[in-house]
Amino acid sequence: MFRRIIKFSVDRPKVVMGIIAVLVFVSLIQFPKMKVDTDPENMLPGNEEARVFHHRVKEEFGLYDLIVLGVVNEDHPEGVFNPSTLEKVYKITERIKGVEGVISHELISLSTKDDIEQAGPGAVRFKWLMGQPPYDKEEALKIRKRAMENPLFYGTLVSENGKALSVYVPIEKKDMSYRISGEIKQIISEYPGSEDYYITGLPVAEDTFGFEMFKQMAISAPLAMLIIFLLMLAFFKNPRLVMSPLFLAGITVIVTMGTLIGLGFTVHIMSSMIPIFLMPIAVLDSVHILSEFYEKYRQAGDRKKAVLDTIDDLFMPMLFTSLTTTAGFFSLAFAEIPPVQVFGVFVAFGVMLAWLLTMTFIPAAVSLTKASSLKGFGAREEHHEEGAMNAFLKFTERTALRRWKVVLAVTVFLVGFSAFGISKIVINDNPVKWFTPGHEIRVADEVLNEHFGGTYMAYLVLEAADGDGEVFKEPDMLRYIEDLQEYLGEEGAVGKSTSLADVAKKIYYELLGGDRKNSVVPPTKPAVAQSLISFQNSHKPDDLWHFVTPDYSKVNIWIQLTSGDNVDMSRVERQVSDYISDDPPPFDIKKGWAGLTYINVVWQDRMVVGMLRNFMGSFLIVLFMMVFLFRSPVRGLVSMIPLTVTIVFIYSLLGYSGKNYDMPVAVLSALTLGLSIDFAIHFLQRAREIDAGKASWESTAKEMFREPSRAILRNALIISIGFLPLLAAPLVPYKTVGVFMFLIMVASSIGTLFILPALISAMPGVIFDERKNPSCRCSYCVIFGIIVASGVAYVLGGYSIASWKTTTVISIGVIGAMAGMCNIVSKRKICVSGE
Amino acid sequence: MRKITAITITLALFVSGAAYALTADEIVRKASAASYYQGKDGRADVNMVITDSLGRTRERYMTILRYDHEDNGPQRFYVYFHRPSDVEGMSYLVWKKPGEDDDRWLYLPALDLVRRVAASDKRSSFVGSHFAYEEISGRGPEEDTHELEGEEDGKYKIRSTPREPGEVEFSYFVTWVNKDNFVPVRAELYDKRGKLYKTIEALEIKDIEGYPTVVKMKASDLNTGGNTVSEFSDIDYDIGLEEDIFTERYLRRPPRRYIR
Repeated sequence: MFRRIIKFSVDRPKVVMGIIAVLVFVSLIQFPKMKVDTDPENMLPGNEEARVFHHRVKEEFGLYDLIVLGVVNEDHPEGVFNPSTLEKVYKITERIKGVEGVISHELISLSTKDDIEQAGPGAVRFKWLMGQPPYDKEEALKIRKRAMENPLFYGTLVSENGKALSVYVPIEKKDMSYRISGEIKQIISEYPGSEDYYITGLPVAEDTFGFEMFKQMAISAPLAMLIIFLLMLAFFKNPRLVMSPLFLAGITVIVTMGTLIGLGFTVHIMSSMIPIFLMPIAVLDSVHILSEFYEKYRQAGDRKKAVLDTIDDLFMPMLFTSLTTTAGFFSLAFAEIPPVQVFGVFVAFGVMLAWLLTMTFIPAAVSLTKASSLKGFGAREEHHEEGAMNAFLKFTERTALRRWKVVLAVTVFLVGFSAFGISKIVINDNPVKWFTPGHEIRVADEVLNEHFGGTYMAYLVLEAADGDGEVFKEPDMLRYIEDLQEYLGEEGAVGKSTSLADVAKKIYYELLGGDRKNSVVPPTKPAVAQSLISFQNSHKPDDLWHFVTPDYSKVNIWIQLTSGDNVDMSRVERQVSDYISDDPPPFDIKKGWAGLTYINVVWQDRMVVGMLRNFMGSFLIVLFMMVFLFRSPVRGLVSMIPLTVTIVFIYSLLGYSGKNYDMPVAVLSALTLGLSIDFAIHFLQRAREIDAGKASWESTAKEMFREPSRAILRNALIISIGFLPLLAAPLVPYKTVGVFMFLIMVASSIGTLFILPALISAMPGVIFDERKNPSCRCSYCVIFGIIVASGVAYVLGGYSIASWKTTTVISIGVIGAMAGMCNIVSKRKICVSGE
Repeated sequence: MRKITAITITLALFVSGAAYALTADEIVRKASAASYYQGKDGRADVNMVITDSLGRTRERYMTILRYDHEDNGPQRFYVYFHRPSDVEGMSYLVWKKPGEDDDRWLYLPALDLVRRVAASDKRSSFVGSHFAYEEISGRGPEEDTHELEGEEDGKYKIRSTPREPGEVEFSYFVTWVNKDNFVPVRAELYDKRGKLYKTIEALEIKDIEGYPTVVKMKASDLNTGGNTVSEFSDIDYDIGLEEDIFTERYLRRPPRRYIR
């Protein structure tokens, strides 16, 4: 069937090209329908419990996503508390109120906050913190003094050293943050002076990242293509032929993205990475074909015959490399993260599409290439014998054949070394760190978190277990919250926290005449209630409802973290749980977390655990395929060895280098698996084909270390170098992709070229044993049984073999039973007689 | 027939012409007197229901006593809280002094504390409701400049602009005042950027002891979507309150006779 399609492509190239052109056109007209979604919150399904809770908390406590504008004045002796700076802040605040998408009445700034203060003997007064810009120095300093004395403001609105103040801009929707921060920058630029302005906050980081990501798609991807083109040109020296893999990659990306958009999926941060993943995979197969064609063309002389021969040779390995890669990505469809599912399914689709195009487009392109333009194309063996590549391959051949024990020893050592490195991996993520150091968002983040109690908001919600009872008017409960806050403050991570207890204390203290000793929670429930109702005589009574619900059954503790690292958020979460279990609260309460900082932790956990599971699953699926492809469980296992070594080695580097296992790394694990196996498949499959006509492994090896190995090396070089330009991208995930691509290619090609031949040298009989009936070998049968049982256990156990479950026990029993059966089966008559 | 019509029109013109003769300032002063100075003194029970944008409600139940020195002149209020139960006994005393800052005292029984609340401005909230302080006690007509913008179905439409714009959060407000009894029935407040952000409406007006009295009113915050509805009951005018009640020492010792 496929042979006919390939033949058709060679014979009627124009028809094939026409069909492909139509496909590309149809895909391209889908692009204007593109809907972009840059919200990482969508990493969780809309009905996810944590997300539903987060939104309910936001609604119940009137909370909004915040853009943080920091104003720093290092030059003035009084910092930002001088009339000129404050006047600018006043005016900028007023202007920001008018920006569309800003919730102006919830804007938090010196000029929008009300304060209670002493107003002469026996009197208190509610007064705007900065009702209007101060006239003189004294007034500016008075504002500073009042802000510093209010626990609701210092560390949040003003820095403790008085050098910085901030404006929190609540916005209607997160995906407006990039635009709104742009408009804020515009406003700021109209008030020049000695002040420095910084804009940060998770919504801005996330939205800006999305924006820059799409921008990078237009720069990094084409640049990678250009480098790949130049490298291929250096190897094959024929621009026309070399163009075809690039076109193929382009067509694959356009059709895949067109289908995704056409089917109505939004282009999320994840799916925007599809092109960068598809390109190397798409190019890989064509490089194999061109490589082989390059070697065969001279001998065959006829380009059509040469291309058909080439595909005949490469059909099985290419099919299987594509299938394994597809399996690796398709397994992402089981991740419980919608954008990852879309990503996995469409990369899988793209890989198969690339394979189909390799079978049709490349032959058609070769067929359309005029014979004259192929002049001088093809291998000139004599010249190559001296090349660096050949020298390397000669070295490899000698080592693998004669010093295979050394190779295997080094391999074992490497696995041990890697296992230790993997144990040091830190799972952590922080969307702000998706920007390279020096990016304005990173800088703003550092500066502001140095000055303030933290720009990362998390909300700890405590709720009366029985749902009512005005528990949070109880002084005991408020004192408990006060102690909890104090504990969190001492433990690190939390820079500042604010709660109903702080509000009650502040009012009580001012009502009693501003005596420090009265800075305590009011002593009785009515005293709490009356202090809080007094607070409601301010200009902004509703500010109270950011801390407590009107029925006093739930409180919200604002927790500011100076770091958006998920490890820090997780640490705080643990501290709170420990505190509550060690020292139970005076009333029965439930706790819950909300806030973007927390949401990130939830989807990270989901992602990391999900990825690990999928990885295990795809590993098993690939193993199955290898057993099927090589018609032997042992060969299947052997083929997995270089890949396993590659993967553990690459991930151990994460552990040793201290780079965090984050979202991009998690996604790359699917790619690592899919790409690492490729070289092993090519090597083993070709070795078996060649060995069929040879007397010994030595003579097979001689041939193996020529063209097939050269193709592997060429591929490795093209992809690894081709993706190095990604290292110049200002976004860390792009750098990560570049580094991983480089490592995967280098490690898996070297691993394949050393470890596989060494293994074959160690047991050539096992690898090339082409006996028809593997069931006669009891050990083969048992290995196969183990693979099947773990596969079934993986599916039944909810796509997880990472944990010990009942299914694990059952499957061990099944393996035992199957081993017994294997024993019986292998002693059948034919087997015994055939022996 | 045509003649009669002509006469009617002439008459109508004359009458409305006479009404127009009232200046905006006069209308506002009459409106202020009609809504805040009925009788010599008065009492009312007030039930306030504060509803937020999520539909969650809070209640305040209080008794308000009032004592006037003269119409649009100095005035005293005594506010006693009955509910919520944990604030029962909390009371306020307000000495309203047109042309200068009011004096305000607060008594918190749980703290056994009387505190003067300096009224640097009167735009702060009245116990967490959507009414500002002066929307309960009355904003002095002399604090704004008034402009008669016209008449709409039997109501004067008056635009008032503050003389001290720095002290208030609105840039101007528009009031509709009934022509027949000078009761203001609707006010719209516009913020500094000219956006309507708050409305106050008289939902029900009753004649009580000869005084047209708003017995139900509603303040709505258009920014947050919340509102407060106040219902007045047991209204009584000219009950002979002694001025003495409206002094600091009565905060701790509420005049039970009038508070019930």
